Amino acid sequence: MSKITDKQGLLKKLIYHILPPDKWKLPVVILLGIFTGLSLTVLKISNAVSYLSDDPKACVNCHIMSPQFATWERSSHGRVTVCNDCHVPQDNFVNKYYFKAMDGLRHATMFTFRLEPQVITIKDAGKKAVQNNCIRCHTDLIHPVSVRAISNKMIIDKEETYCWDCHRETPHGRVNSLSSTPYASVPKLTPILPEWLSTSIKNEKKQ
Amino acid sequence: MKPLQDIIKSKPWVAWLLFFVTVIVVFIIGLFASSIIERRSEAEYTFQMVKPIAEFEPRNEIWGENYPREYESYRRTLHTDFASKHGGSKDIDYLEKYPELVVMWAGYPFSKDYKQGRGHGYAIEDIRKTLRTGGNKVSPLPATCWACKSTDVPRMMNKTGIGEFYKGKWIEKGEEIINPIGCQDCHDPKTMNLRITRPGLIEAFKRQGKDINEATRQEMRSLVCAQCHVEYYFDKTNNNYLVFPWDKGFSADEMEAYYDEIDFYDWKHALSQTPMLKAQHPDYELYTTGIHYKRGVACADCHMPYKTEGGVKYTDHHIQSPLNNVENSCQVCHRVKAEELVRDVYDRQDRLESLRRLVEKSLAAVHMEAKTAWDNGATEDEMKPILQLIRHAQWRWDWVAAANGLGFHAPAEAFRVLGTSIQKAEEARRLIALVLVKHNVKYPLVLADISTKEKAQKFIGLNMPELIADKEDFLKTTVLTWDQKAKERQGTLIKY
Repeated sequence: MSKITDKQGLLKKLIYHILPPDKWKLPVVILLGIFTGLSLTVLKISNAVSYLSDDPKACVNCHIMSPQFATWERSSHGRVTVCNDCHVPQDNFVNKYYFKAMDGLRHATMFTFRLEPQVITIKDAGKKAVQNNCIRCHTDLIHPVSVRAISNKMIIDKEETYCWDCHRETPHGRVNSLSSTPYASVPKLTPILPEWLSTSIKNEKKQ
Repeated sequence: MKPLQDIIKSKPWVAWLLFFVTVIVVFIIGLFASSIIERRSEAEYTFQMVKPIAEFEPRNEIWGENYPREYESYRRTLHTDFASKHGGSKDIDYLEKYPELVVMWAGYPFSKDYKQGRGHGYAIEDIRKTLRTGGNKVSPLPATCWACKSTDVPRMMNKTGIGEFYKGKWIEKGEEIINPIGCQDCHDPKTMNLRITRPGLIEAFKRQGKDINEATRQEMRSLVCAQCHVEYYFDKTNNNYLVFPWDKGFSADEMEAYYDEIDFYDWKHALSQTPMLKAQHPDYELYTTGIHYKRGVACADCHMPYKTEGGVKYTDHHIQSPLNNVENSCQVCHRVKAEELVRDVYDRQDRLESLRRLVEKSLAAVHMEAKTAWDNGATEDEMKPILQLIRHAQWRWDWVAAANGLGFHAPAEAFRVLGTSIQKAEEARRLIALVLVKHNVKYPLVLADISTKEKAQKFIGLNMPELIADKEDFLKTTVLTWDQKAKERQGTLIKY
């Protein structure tokens, strides 16, 4: 019991510590409101909530993923899988969201600071996730003999071998530069402005 | 711990520090927000048109200025160098190949001229040249025949209204319909999204209680084709308004029941007096019964597959037989040698053709036998059930024969429909034999020689030299004025 009271005391002390004087309370509340509002705006315009889902549309929030989206959508895998089925680990919930969060933060940073290369290639962690997911679905197709064939080669060359070293066109095709599908129609983000507002702005311009 | 306000009282710089830290944080969040907006707007510019395209712009070359790869591949629909065993883009004269068709279509323009449909780029040239559309002296067809031929159709329908567009004769509207099937027929000029421009399909969906706007992207990749590659008829009671007979269902039997119920016929057969039905090209309806459709494959997946050129991937707009492009169409899913895949297609088509030939021989014979029966005093009552069988047999044969791909779009259904066609044609022949014997005609009859197109056309009384002369005159006069007027209207007119 005493521990909990201690904690409550600490919290009270902290709040008491940062509590502004009475005449500052109003401006501080307003400022905090602005701060929260701004943060919410950022969440909304970056469509942040969509990243919790498995919807492939979330992956083209950043338009630089359009070539990957377009080539996946029109491939054989486009009918049966979504991006996350292959690109994030599916062994358990924690792993999945940990991987997603780490990857997502890296992507967000690269995109914000315009660090994206002209041709985006997969990192080692991503390769491992994809390889495991190939095996997860196609486990019936992976005959012990063929697995051994790969292993022998791996032993001789002392290098890793992935499914797509041979199945090179699956499912995206070999290389996707940022400009490889210039006119492909991919889903777009809905405009930030609500429709009534943009139409009334348009109407005003006309007058 | 002292309250912050006390600290600030003794050390005012803490307040300043707090102020500036807050300023910096808010400033950074603001920058972040504006960066997100900026990068979002980039997405709008990835799809940028060099020259905005006007709504209802019919000229494909104007669209092509923005989309050179798609346009150039579309232009390849003008190639006529590929012939598969049973189709392709080469000119094939089907009346020469199957002369029985002349007799089966006696009294209908198809008996004059019926060739392999060439690529979309030839839509206007071929409809002008075919003997079916006639010449200056005789122009037998209604304006509705233009409905699927040109990007000018949506423009005109918007200008005059749909009902008005279908009204009148084919020859009266030629100067307005100039640009062959192309971009506008399937695409929205602003977003390039797929869209439906032909009212027939939208209306058919509505009557079935479906909303075509709810179609998914993958469905649209077939539905834009289903605007034209379907069965339809011209409603004679409503100024030849174009209607899809889909109200009872998609199959040959259900459409047949629909036509019977409204007592519709395309023409009265010149020999047998049967009220006949002419199937258009129920490619979509046949295809939807097939295994490829069930597995979610759209028309565009095989007829317009993805293509790589330099590092750029795009949809091949050279719409053609997938047999001329096995690598990009079939082999995307079927990991089998190209020759083997082609052989699989031919295997099915060869068998279908052999059944088709059976029907054609008995139908040509039964039309001639029916004429002899009429000539020897057969009565309406005796002939009525026979004519109904002929009507159904030929409709079912046509439902398969008129569709592209010689049944490959759904071989099992094509075999079933042809099977019932054989049964009905032979049943008609059996009944007519009884009628002939009853009227003291020696049976079996000695039938006329229709072993070539010329002999068959002569037999049904077509004056071919006159038709050809009229057509040549039409091409030298009327067509030239059409092109001239179109050039004045559009500013440019390119040759296809």
